Amino acid sequence: MEQNKEMTAQESLQLITESFNKSRKDILRNSAKYFMLWGVLLTVTSLAIWLLWHFTGNPQWNFLWFAMPVIGYPLAALIGKNQVAIPQNEMSKMLAGVWSVFGTFSLTLSAIAVFLVPMHVTLIIVIILGLAECISGVLLKNWPIIIAGFILGVGGAVFALLVKSDAQLLIFTLGGVLLLVTGLIMKIQYK
Amino acid sequence: MFPKLDPILHSELRLAVMSILAGADEADFTYLKKQTGATSGNLSVQIDKLTSAGYITVEKGFKGKMPRTACRITEAGQNAFRAYVEALKEYLAAK
Repeated sequence: MEQNKEMTAQESLQLITESFNKSRKDILRNSAKYFMLWGVLLTVTSLAIWLLWHFTGNPQWNFLWFAMPVIGYPLAALIGKNQVAIPQNEMSKMLAGVWSVFGTFSLTLSAIAVFLVPMHVTLIIVIILGLAECISGVLLKNWPIIIAGFILGVGGAVFALLVKSDAQLLIFTLGGVLLLVTGLIMKIQYK
Repeated sequence: MFPKLDPILHSELRLAVMSILAGADEADFTYLKKQTGATSGNLSVQIDKLTSAGYITVEKGFKGKMPRTACRITEAGQNAFRAYVEALKEYLAAK
Protein backbone atom coordinates (compact mmCIF):
# COMPACT_ATOMS: atom_id res chain seq x y z
CA MET A 1 0.00 0.00 0.00
CA GLU A 2 1.42 3.39 -0.97
CA GLN A 3 0.93 6.56 1.03
CA ASN A 4 1.21 8.98 -1.87
CA LYS A 5 -1.05 7.32 -4.40
CA GLU A 6 -3.58 9.79 -5.80
CA MET A 7 -7.02 8.35 -5.06
CA THR A 8 -10.36 9.20 -6.57
CA ALA A 9 -13.39 9.68 -4.28
CA GLN A 10 -14.69 6.31 -5.41
CA GLU A 11 -11.40 4.57 -4.59
CA SER A 12 -11.23 6.25 -1.18
CA LEU A 13 -14.73 5.15 -0.26
CA GLN A 14 -13.98 1.64 -1.47
CA LEU A 15 -10.78 1.52 0.58
CA ILE A 16 -12.65 2.67 3.70
CA THR A 17 -15.39 0.06 3.24
CA GLU A 18 -12.92 -2.74 2.54
CA SER A 19 -10.60 -1.93 5.46
CA PHE A 20 -13.51 -1.46 7.86
CA ASN A 21 -15.22 -4.70 6.82
CA LYS A 22 -11.99 -6.70 6.80
CA SER A 23 -11.17 -5.68 10.34
CA ARG A 24 -14.77 -6.25 11.51
CA LYS A 25 -14.70 -9.76 10.03
CA ASP A 26 -11.33 -10.46 11.68
CA ILE A 27 -12.69 -9.41 15.06
CA LEU A 28 -15.84 -11.54 14.84
CA ARG A 29 -13.98 -14.52 13.38
CA ASN A 30 -11.69 -14.27 16.39
CA SER A 31 -14.71 -14.34 18.76
CA ALA A 32 -15.85 -17.53 16.96
CA LYS A 33 -12.77 -19.37 18.28
CA TYR A 34 -13.91 -18.83 21.86
CA PHE A 35 -17.45 -20.04 21.12
CA MET A 36 -15.92 -23.20 19.65
CA LEU A 37 -13.52 -23.68 22.56
CA TRP A 38 -16.27 -23.41 25.21
CA GLY A 39 -18.62 -25.49 23.06
CA VAL A 40 -16.14 -28.37 22.89
CA LEU A 41 -15.37 -28.07 26.62
CA LEU A 42 -19.06 -28.05 27.58
CA THR A 43 -19.82 -31.04 25.34
CA VAL A 44 -16.87 -33.09 26.63
CA THR A 45 -17.40 -32.17 30.31
CA SER A 46 -21.14 -32.84 30.31
CA LEU A 47 -20.71 -36.16 28.48
CA ALA A 48 -17.88 -37.25 30.78
CA ILE A 49 -19.85 -36.38 33.94
CA TRP A 50 -22.99 -38.05 32.64
CA LEU A 51 -21.12 -41.25 31.74
CA LEU A 52 -19.28 -41.35 35.09
CA TRP A 53 -22.46 -40.63 37.06
CA HIS A 54 -24.53 -43.06 35.01
CA PHE A 55 -22.13 -46.01 35.33
CA THR A 56 -20.98 -45.47 38.93
CA GLY A 57 -24.25 -44.12 40.33
CA ASN A 58 -22.26 -41.46 42.20
CA PRO A 59 -23.53 -37.86 41.79
CA GLN A 60 -20.28 -36.54 43.29
CA TRP A 61 -18.87 -36.56 39.75
CA ASN A 62 -20.75 -33.27 39.32
CA PHE A 63 -17.84 -31.58 41.08
CA LEU A 64 -16.00 -32.01 37.78
CA TRP A 65 -18.03 -29.02 36.49
CA PHE A 66 -15.67 -26.81 38.45
CA ALA A 67 -12.79 -28.16 36.33
CA MET A 68 -14.30 -26.52 33.25
CA PRO A 69 -13.26 -22.92 34.02
CA VAL A 70 -9.93 -24.18 35.40
CA ILE A 71 -9.16 -25.73 32.00
CA GLY A 72 -11.09 -23.24 29.84
CA TYR A 73 -9.62 -19.91 30.94
CA PRO A 74 -5.93 -20.90 30.54
CA LEU A 75 -6.78 -22.45 27.15
CA ALA A 76 -8.57 -19.25 26.08
CA ALA A 77 -5.54 -17.22 27.19
CA LEU A 78 -3.27 -19.56 25.23
CA ILE A 79 -5.33 -19.10 22.05
CA GLY A 80 -5.03 -15.33 22.43
CA LYS A 81 -1.30 -15.50 23.10
CA ASN A 82 -0.28 -17.36 19.94
CA GLN A 83 -1.63 -14.90 17.39
CA VAL A 84 -1.27 -11.35 16.11
CA ALA A 85 -3.36 -9.33 18.59
CA ILE A 86 -6.81 -8.97 17.04
CA PRO A 87 -8.54 -5.75 18.15
CA GLN A 88 -11.86 -5.61 19.94
CA ASN A 89 -14.94 -3.72 18.83
CA GLU A 90 -18.31 -2.99 20.42
CA MET A 91 -19.82 -6.24 19.15
CA SER A 92 -17.01 -8.52 20.37
CA LYS A 93 -17.03 -6.74 23.75
CA MET A 94 -20.81 -7.20 24.08
CA LEU A 95 -20.54 -10.90 23.19
CA ALA A 96 -17.70 -11.36 25.69
CA GLY A 97 -19.78 -9.47 28.28
CA VAL A 98 -22.87 -11.65 27.77
CA TRP A 99 -20.88 -14.87 28.18
CA SER A 100 -18.86 -13.58 31.12
CA VAL A 101 -22.14 -12.78 32.89
CA PHE A 102 -23.42 -16.26 32.03
CA GLY A 103 -20.21 -17.87 33.37
CA THR A 104 -20.30 -15.85 36.59
CA PHE A 105 -23.99 -16.62 37.23
CA SER A 106 -23.63 -20.36 36.55
CA LEU A 107 -20.49 -20.77 38.61
CA THR A 108 -21.86 -18.81 41.57
CA LEU A 109 -25.25 -20.55 41.51
CA SER A 110 -23.59 -23.97 41.21
CA ALA A 111 -21.37 -23.20 44.21
CA ILE A 112 -24.38 -21.98 46.21
CA ALA A 113 -26.37 -25.08 45.24
CA VAL A 114 -23.55 -27.40 46.26
CA PHE A 115 -22.40 -25.71 49.46
CA LEU A 116 -25.27 -23.56 50.79
CA VAL A 117 -28.82 -23.87 49.48
CA PRO A 118 -29.87 -26.88 47.38
CA MET A 119 -31.70 -25.78 44.24
CA HIS A 120 -32.64 -27.05 40.78
CA VAL A 121 -29.46 -25.70 39.29
CA THR A 122 -29.80 -27.54 35.95
CA LEU A 123 -33.11 -25.79 35.31
CA ILE A 124 -31.71 -22.35 36.12
CA ILE A 125 -28.48 -22.77 34.17
CA VAL A 126 -30.15 -24.16 31.07
CA ILE A 127 -32.50 -21.14 31.01
CA ILE A 128 -29.67 -18.61 31.26
CA LEU A 129 -27.60 -20.64 28.77
CA GLY A 130 -30.45 -20.43 26.26
CA LEU A 131 -30.88 -16.73 27.04
CA ALA A 132 -27.17 -16.00 26.49
CA GLU A 133 -27.26 -17.92 23.20
CA CYS A 134 -30.41 -16.03 22.15
CA ILE A 135 -28.86 -12.63 22.98
CA SER A 136 -25.73 -13.59 21.00
CA GLY A 137 -27.97 -14.34 18.04
CA VAL A 138 -29.71 -10.99 18.39
CA LEU A 139 -26.36 -9.16 18.52
CA LEU A 140 -25.08 -11.08 15.49
CA LYS A 141 -28.43 -10.63 13.70
CA ASN A 142 -28.49 -14.36 13.07
CA TRP A 143 -31.87 -16.12 13.20
CA PRO A 144 -30.59 -19.74 13.45
CA ILE A 145 -28.64 -18.78 16.61
CA ILE A 146 -31.67 -16.95 18.07
CA ILE A 147 -33.94 -19.95 17.43
CA ALA A 148 -31.34 -22.42 18.75
CA GLY A 149 -31.01 -20.38 21.95
CA PHE A 150 -34.77 -20.22 22.38
CA ILE A 151 -35.18 -23.98 21.86
CA LEU A 152 -32.29 -24.70 24.24
CA GLY A 153 -33.63 -22.40 26.97
CA VAL A 154 -37.33 -23.24 26.78
CA GLY A 155 -37.02 -26.86 25.63
CA GLY A 156 -34.18 -27.47 28.09
CA ALA A 157 -36.24 -26.06 30.99
CA VAL A 158 -39.16 -28.38 30.19
CA PHE A 159 -36.75 -31.34 29.82
CA ALA A 160 -35.07 -30.49 33.15
CA LEU A 161 -38.46 -30.42 34.90
CA LEU A 162 -39.72 -33.65 33.33
CA VAL A 163 -36.56 -35.79 33.45
CA LYS A 164 -35.38 -36.45 36.97
CA SER A 165 -32.46 -38.80 36.22
CA ASP A 166 -28.80 -38.10 35.39
CA ALA A 167 -29.92 -37.85 31.75
CA GLN A 168 -30.68 -34.17 32.54
CA LEU A 169 -26.99 -33.51 31.92
CA LEU A 170 -27.47 -34.27 28.23
CA ILE A 171 -29.12 -30.85 27.90
CA PHE A 172 -25.68 -29.37 28.46
CA THR A 173 -24.21 -31.65 25.80
CA LEU A 174 -26.77 -30.17 23.42
CA GLY A 175 -25.84 -26.69 24.71
CA GLY A 176 -22.16 -27.39 24.01
CA VAL A 177 -22.92 -28.56 20.49
CA LEU A 178 -24.98 -25.39 19.92
CA LEU A 179 -22.09 -23.22 21.08
CA LEU A 180 -19.77 -25.07 18.73
CA VAL A 181 -22.24 -24.64 15.87
CA THR A 182 -22.60 -20.92 16.73
CA GLY A 183 -18.81 -20.58 16.44
CA LEU A 184 -18.83 -22.41 13.12
CA ILE A 185 -21.67 -20.21 11.80
CA MET A 186 -19.70 -17.09 12.80
CA LYS A 187 -16.57 -18.44 11.14
CA ILE A 188 -18.49 -18.98 7.89
CA GLN A 189 -20.51 -15.73 8.16
CA TYR A 190 -17.37 -13.64 8.66
CA LYS A 191 -15.03 -15.52 6.31
CA MET B 1 -18.93 24.30 -3.34
CA PHE B 2 -17.52 21.06 -2.01
CA PRO B 3 -15.60 20.84 1.25
CA LYS B 4 -11.86 20.28 0.74
CA LEU B 5 -10.72 16.74 1.40
CA ASP B 6 -8.52 16.45 4.50
CA PRO B 7 -4.97 15.97 3.09
CA ILE B 8 -3.95 13.98 6.18
CA LEU B 9 -6.64 11.39 5.45
CA HIS B 10 -6.47 11.54 1.66
CA SER B 11 -3.58 9.09 1.48
CA GLU B 12 -4.04 5.38 0.84
CA LEU B 13 -2.14 4.00 3.84
CA ARG B 14 -3.25 6.61 6.37
CA LEU B 15 -6.87 6.20 5.28
CA ALA B 16 -6.64 2.41 5.65
CA VAL B 17 -5.21 2.79 9.16
CA MET B 18 -7.96 5.25 10.12
CA SER B 19 -10.67 2.97 8.67
CA ILE B 20 -9.44 0.06 10.78
CA LEU B 21 -9.18 2.18 13.91
CA ALA B 22 -12.62 3.73 13.34
CA GLY B 23 -14.21 0.29 13.80
CA ALA B 24 -12.06 -1.02 16.64
CA ASP B 25 -11.20 0.02 20.17
CA GLU B 26 -7.49 -0.08 19.46
CA ALA B 27 -5.18 -1.99 17.17
CA ASP B 28 -1.63 -3.26 17.47
CA PHE B 29 1.07 -2.08 15.07
CA THR B 30 1.56 -5.71 13.97
CA TYR B 31 -2.15 -6.03 13.17
CA LEU B 32 -2.17 -2.78 11.17
CA LYS B 33 0.93 -3.93 9.29
CA LYS B 34 -0.69 -7.27 8.45
CA GLN B 35 -3.98 -5.66 7.39
CA THR B 36 -2.46 -2.96 5.22
CA GLY B 37 0.46 -4.97 3.83
CA ALA B 38 2.71 -1.96 4.42
CA THR B 39 6.37 -2.11 5.47
CA SER B 40 7.21 -1.31 9.10
CA GLY B 41 9.11 1.84 8.11
CA ASN B 42 6.36 3.21 5.91
CA LEU B 43 3.66 2.42 8.46
CA SER B 44 5.67 4.07 11.26
CA VAL B 45 6.02 7.28 9.24
CA GLN B 46 2.28 7.41 8.48
CA ILE B 47 1.35 6.64 12.09
CA ASP B 48 3.62 9.51 13.18
CA LYS B 49 1.78 11.85 10.79
CA LEU B 50 -1.62 10.78 12.14
CA THR B 51 -0.34 11.20 15.70
CA SER B 52 1.03 14.67 14.95
CA ALA B 53 -2.36 15.64 13.51
CA GLY B 54 -3.97 14.51 16.77
CA TYR B 55 -6.05 11.86 14.98
CA ILE B 56 -4.64 8.86 16.82
CA THR B 57 -2.71 8.14 19.99
CA VAL B 58 0.10 5.63 20.26
CA GLU B 59 0.88 3.73 23.42
CA LYS B 60 4.04 1.68 23.72
CA GLY B 61 4.17 -1.12 26.25
CA PHE B 62 4.69 -4.84 26.63
CA LYS B 63 2.46 -7.85 26.17
CA GLY B 64 4.24 -10.45 28.28
CA LYS B 65 7.86 -10.06 27.23
CA MET B 66 7.07 -8.78 23.74
CA PRO B 67 7.04 -5.04 22.97
CA ARG B 68 3.63 -3.80 21.90
CA THR B 69 2.56 -0.60 20.13
CA ALA B 70 -1.16 0.08 20.42
CA CYS B 71 -2.87 2.71 18.26
CA ARG B 72 -6.20 4.26 19.15
CA ILE B 73 -8.34 6.81 17.29
CA THR B 74 -9.02 10.08 19.13
CA GLU B 75 -12.26 12.07 19.16
CA ALA B 76 -10.67 14.58 16.77
CA GLY B 77 -9.75 11.63 14.54
CA GLN B 78 -13.31 10.27 14.60
CA ASN B 79 -14.68 13.70 13.69
CA ALA B 80 -12.16 14.18 10.89
CA PHE B 81 -12.88 10.70 9.56
CA ARG B 82 -16.64 11.31 9.58
CA ALA B 83 -16.19 14.67 7.85
CA TYR B 84 -13.94 13.04 5.23
CA VAL B 85 -16.54 10.33 4.49
CA GLU B 86 -19.29 12.97 4.23
CA ALA B 87 -17.17 15.01 1.81
CA LEU B 88 -16.55 11.90 -0.31
CA LYS B 89 -20.26 11.17 -0.42
CA GLU B 90 -20.95 14.73 -1.57
CA TYR B 91 -18.39 14.38 -4.35
CA LEU B 92 -19.91 11.12 -5.50
CA ALA B 93 -23.50 12.35 -5.26
CA ALA B 94 -22.64 15.37 -7.44
CA LYS B 95 -21.29 13.14 -10.22
